[in-house]
Amino acid sequence: MTTGAWDDSRLSGTSGGRGARAAGWNVRNLWALEDNARVVAWVATRIGRTALVALFALVLVAANRGYRAEPEWPVFLVACAAACAYAPRYRPVTIFVATMAALLKQVWFPHAGLIEIIRQEGVEFLSPTGFVHGALAAFFVASWAVLGYARRNKASFVARRPVLALLAAEALLCGLALVPYVHGVARVTVWAFLTVFSAYIWFLAYALVDQRSKDPAPRLFQLGIFHPFWGSSSTPLGKGAAFLRRVQSKTPEELSVTQIKALKLLIWSLVLTALSRALAWLVEGRLQVPRLDSVQAAFFRGEPYPIALGWASLITATALGTLWLAVWGHQIVAVARLSGFRLPRNTWRPLESRTLADLWNRYYYYYKELLVEFFFVPTFLRTLKKHPRLRTFFATFMAAGVGNAVFHFVRDIDVVATRGLWGALESYTSYVFYCVMLATGIGISQLRTNAGRQAPASPLGKLRAFLCVWSFVVCLHVFANETRDYSLVQRLSFMANLFGVY
Amino acid sequence: MNSTRKDELRGFMTELLRKVGDHVPPSDSDSLFVSGRLDSLAMMTLVVHLENAFGIDFADGGFEMDLLDTLDDIETLIDEKLSA
Repeated sequence: MTTGAWDDSRLSGTSGGRGARAAGWNVRNLWALEDNARVVAWVATRIGRTALVALFALVLVAANRGYRAEPEWPVFLVACAAACAYAPRYRPVTIFVATMAALLKQVWFPHAGLIEIIRQEGVEFLSPTGFVHGALAAFFVASWAVLGYARRNKASFVARRPVLALLAAEALLCGLALVPYVHGVARVTVWAFLTVFSAYIWFLAYALVDQRSKDPAPRLFQLGIFHPFWGSSSTPLGKGAAFLRRVQSKTPEELSVTQIKALKLLIWSLVLTALSRALAWLVEGRLQVPRLDSVQAAFFRGEPYPIALGWASLITATALGTLWLAVWGHQIVAVARLSGFRLPRNTWRPLESRTLADLWNRYYYYYKELLVEFFFVPTFLRTLKKHPRLRTFFATFMAAGVGNAVFHFVRDIDVVATRGLWGALESYTSYVFYCVMLATGIGISQLRTNAGRQAPASPLGKLRAFLCVWSFVVCLHVFANETRDYSLVQRLSFMANLFGVY
Repeated sequence: MNSTRKDELRGFMTELLRKVGDHVPPSDSDSLFVSGRLDSLAMMTLVVHLENAFGIDFADGGFEMDLLDTLDDIETLIDEKLSA
């Protein structure tokens, strides 16, 4: 591999191997607009900026058609991104205001649990939205105070072990919400705060980690990137302030290159959307392959579909899920890039993965990064130093297994409200099984890589590696489905049926 | 700045890159991890190397992955840890 590995990396940069691309004149070279000095210079002009931003807005409107009812939403995003990019001096304020505006327009996290608690407590006259907004205000004020405390007291527990401290606070809040002595408005209030805290816990974790650095970002910026206006899930896409400051464009040339890459990524997301729709139309429409939830429901009714149809449905669900994740991530990263942040892609050529560990790196980058930073690294640095192989495996298990399970349990804290603590834990066994299998698979894959096992280079070897990796992923998809509808035993029996043994 | 140490580090990182099929030697300011050229497992390989070669114990204090992104960053971190 030559400089191509760098050119095609997740990151948009300014020095992406122009020499390598200079040779030859093909479509790929034509598409590499960010390597064309004249184009880059033109995009930095006033007319160029206007044209690029307008084109980006048009593509984003097209990309959102059919998904969002409000056509003004993409325009709002682009306006915020442009303000952020072209007025870097006011970037922290711009991001904070844009993020708060986006939050007021639409609360991004689910709060069905809070609504259920309001019903359980018989206080339906209370507005869940009002409680969420109140809890949000309290959370942001508390975060401001905690960040200040951690900055001043770098030796404190919350500054040294932020994830442990936050998970302890989560457990405490959950316990408080469940004790039988708390009722009525008090219980609703605790649940509202727990809901907000669970949604933002990893954003706060990144911000707390940043407080240890010599020159932490201003708190306004830290809070502004708590689920920033460009989007995220419970996983911060763009990580924390330290990372964002590192990847923000520092020169007009860097900004132009980053924004050109933003536009290209957005266009690519449109292509993937079209591909996704074509696949759904072909498989589900023309070939009449039922959806996975229908196949599972039929199996549990005792009227299973033929095995081949079951596999076709499972493979299609995995493919569509992967495409959806890529499109979603690309659109968010594209808006962040338009804002001037050279963010790596969230999903990057997952079909080229030759090992499971490689796929883990390519499939959902920012989630993997979160688990690595908050679970893998602390475990790796502190345990089993005299046993290198076990050290890597155990740290991987703590990230892809334990961290993965903890993350999703916290994210879905609503389930505790609707099913109770025991019900939530019981319905979680299938996902825990998924985490254990995934962590074991990745751990073994990493040990093999560490032992010097080379990724296959021949076409046949690549095909075999592709089939191995994706067969594993397809099989795990049965358990990765995050709905709590079926138990582990039911899913195992469904899996056995697909292999014709049940 | 210790040029021998830098060269040794460059050799180590070049070897890590070579293992993933990237044969371009890194410059002092090239992003190695944020760019996606190397993954977190390679980062931990680097950590083990720094532990063994320089006796650095990362468990002692905070560890930020972003602070090991370039050869210059690694050099700075070693200096800081050794002088602490």
